[in-house]
Formats: sequence, C-alpha cells, structure tokens
Amino acid sequence: MQQQFSDSVSIYLQISRMIETDILRGILLEEERVPSTNELAKIYTINPATAAKGINLLVEEGILYKKRGIGMFVAQGAVRQIRSKRKQEFYSVQLKGLLAEAKSLGITREELIAEIEKEGNEL
Amino acid sequence: MSQLVCKNLKKSYGDKTVIENLNLTLESGKIYGLIGRNGAGKTTLLSMLSNHAPSSGGEITLDGERVWENPKVLSRICFARELNPNNENGLGSYSVKAYLRAAEAFLPHWDAEMAKRLLETFRLEEKTKLSKLSKGMLSMVTIIVALASKAEFTFLDEPVAGLDVVARDQFYRLLLEEYTESGRTFVISTHIIEEAADLMEEVIILNGGKILLQENTQSLLDRAVYVTGLASEVKEAVAGTTVCHIENMGRSKAAVVLLEEGRELKSGFDVTVQPMTLEKLFIALCREV
Repeated sequence: MQQQFSDSVSIYLQISRMIETDILRGILLEEERVPSTNELAKIYTINPATAAKGINLLVEEGILYKKRGIGMFVAQGAVRQIRSKRKQEFYSVQLKGLLAEAKSLGITREELIAEIEKEGNEL
Repeated sequence: MSQLVCKNLKKSYGDKTVIENLNLTLESGKIYGLIGRNGAGKTTLLSMLSNHAPSSGGEITLDGERVWENPKVLSRICFARELNPNNENGLGSYSVKAYLRAAEAFLPHWDAEMAKRLLETFRLEEKTKLSKLSKGMLSMVTIIVALASKAEFTFLDEPVAGLDVVARDQFYRLLLEEYTESGRTFVISTHIIEEAADLMEEVIILNGGKILLQENTQSLLDRAVYVTGLASEVKEAVAGTTVCHIENMGRSKAAVVLLEEGRELKSGFDVTVQPMTLEKLFIALCREV
C-alpha cells in the first residue's frame, strides 16, 4: 500500500484499486489479511469511514471477505477475478476512449490497425 | 449515540448579526470539517457550542440537555481555541506548563501523560512563556489541549494555522490515531481545505453566518463536477441540474454542477466532465458574484 492518491478519482475508489493492484502484484496474497480500515486510515491519513467504503466495494465484488473478529481477507480466486474485471474495463473504458480520440483526430480504421500491429509486437 | 444539536441559533453583536437561524446536528464518533471564509462565523459558532460565548437566541443541547452553564454537559466538551497571547489578559506571561495546568483544571478527563508525550513530539519546552512562542508553536499548544482533553466532543479552531507542512502532517496522523482509538467526535475548522478534506467524514460549509451545506465529504465530491466545452453544448448538458457557478470565456463555458445523488450528467454532448476537489468546490460556492 504505497501508491499515491491522485485528485481525479474518489479516494475510496482509489483505495479499492490500490488493494486490487497489490493483489495482482503479489504484494497481498490470496487468503491473506489486508490492512484494516483503521490501518489504512493511518497509512493514508484519511477518514476510516472512507477507507471502509473502499474495502466494502471489494467485499461486495467478492474480492475480499470478512472473517468475523479477525479482519478482511483476500478471497480465493481474487487474482483471476481482478484480472478479468480489469480486462473488461480495458475494453469498455480505455479502448472506447482510444477509439473516440482516434475518431476525433480523423485516424482511419486501417491506420489504427497498422499502428497496433507495429506497436503491439510484444503481445 | 450522542447528539449535539443547535436549533435556530443566533448571535449578534449590537445590530450586527453574525449567526442567523442556524440549525446543526453533530453526531458522536465522527470527524467534522468546518470550513468558511474569514468572518463566516466559525469561531463564534464553536464558542457558542462550548459555552465560551452566550448565544443571542436559539438553543444548544447535548443529548437533550442544555449546554449553557451546565457543568455536567460541559465536562464532555472541549473547545481548543486559537491562542492569541498578545490580546488576552496576561496570557502571554503564562508558561506552557502553567497554561496546560490551567487547562487540566477545567477539563475533567485530562490525560496528563498524553500531554507530556505530545510536548516531546512537538519539541516544546514547558517553561517557555506563551508570548515567546511562534504562531505555529501556539497551534501546537492548542492541539495538545484538544487531544489531551479526552473530551467526547472536541472542537479545534484552525489547529494547523502557522504550522509547517511536516507538523501539519504530524497533526493529521495524531488526530487519526486518537480518533481510531477513542471514537471521539472532532470538529475542525481550517483554511487548508485540501489537506484535511480526506480526514473529514462530514463537511460543514458556513457562509455569512449560515450553513450552506452539511454532507458526507465523499458523497459531496461524488456529485460535484466541472463541465467545460463550447458554450451551447455546456448549456444543454447542464440544463436541469444545480449549477453553482458559471464562467464564460469567448465561445467556451465552464460550469460547476452539483448533481443529485446517484445521478449522472446527460450524455451525448461534446463536453469535458471533470471531478472537483473540495477546495475548488468551496471557492465556487462561496465566491462573491
């Protein structure tokens, strides 16, 4: 949990995204306890209620689960779930944004595909 | 859950009205941010809530009991006001130690050990006279009184005024630590809005002696958007919403919009929609037109 906040997205969304990223990177492992809302509040100097809002988003999605009296844990299969969610997000947000920008710049379909072929060698 | 409630609160000095028909409910276990321009009535409000100043009308109660001259209720409230040793009678000649001892005498839940620890944290010398302290150091003394008071309802009036950025960060951390451990209620007035925005569960905006808005900080920010683009497009995109501020520049227009909760701006217009910081929103709401 060492990423920094930006001004452009709600803090609680950033909290949930940071936790997701830490899970993807193996900083937090499946079945491992994640920092509590109070711990997050102190790390980021934010209100614990805001930290709780971010955590709850992940609980609703089944990425975290609550062990009564102990805390929040990373669910089994969280990595796979986050990856598939981010993939969908990539298609529905980033790709759409990219296409809209391409359109406004008058980039043709053929030009765009050619660029992707050129840049996307690593894929 | 305890509640501190103001009903139709008024304050006037002679024929000058500072606070007018103010209604406010503070619930226990929250950190509130009280923001407003100079002269908005923040200090006056906090003074009345804590029996430091009489009101000119209306009522303040804690769990149904009147606050005014009620020792039982006042033992649960602490107002750590800004220290101004040059103005007040002889305050400047008090040493830090003597001042804290005086505070202890008024605050029944005083935590002397915590006060001592905080003196070390802030590297304040006990024997220094208040008149010899810088603005920032005086703020540190105020912070020590507030935290060590252990009062259920604690009000801090501009606790970070004059503090350097490292000391401010230190204060925010100390506050959160105390809050997460004790669940006490804090009301903090500040002009450094952006730094404290994420600490406040609820924000109270005071403008011209009236409450302009009281809301969960995150919910408020979720519904505040800054819309820009070609004037005609912006005009249509924001039609039917609450527009707080508009600025025109040539063919372009910028609008500060407060959406209804859960609503989004109408789509289909060629406009840029950006989130807003609390500070930017505050300026939009409180600027003189």
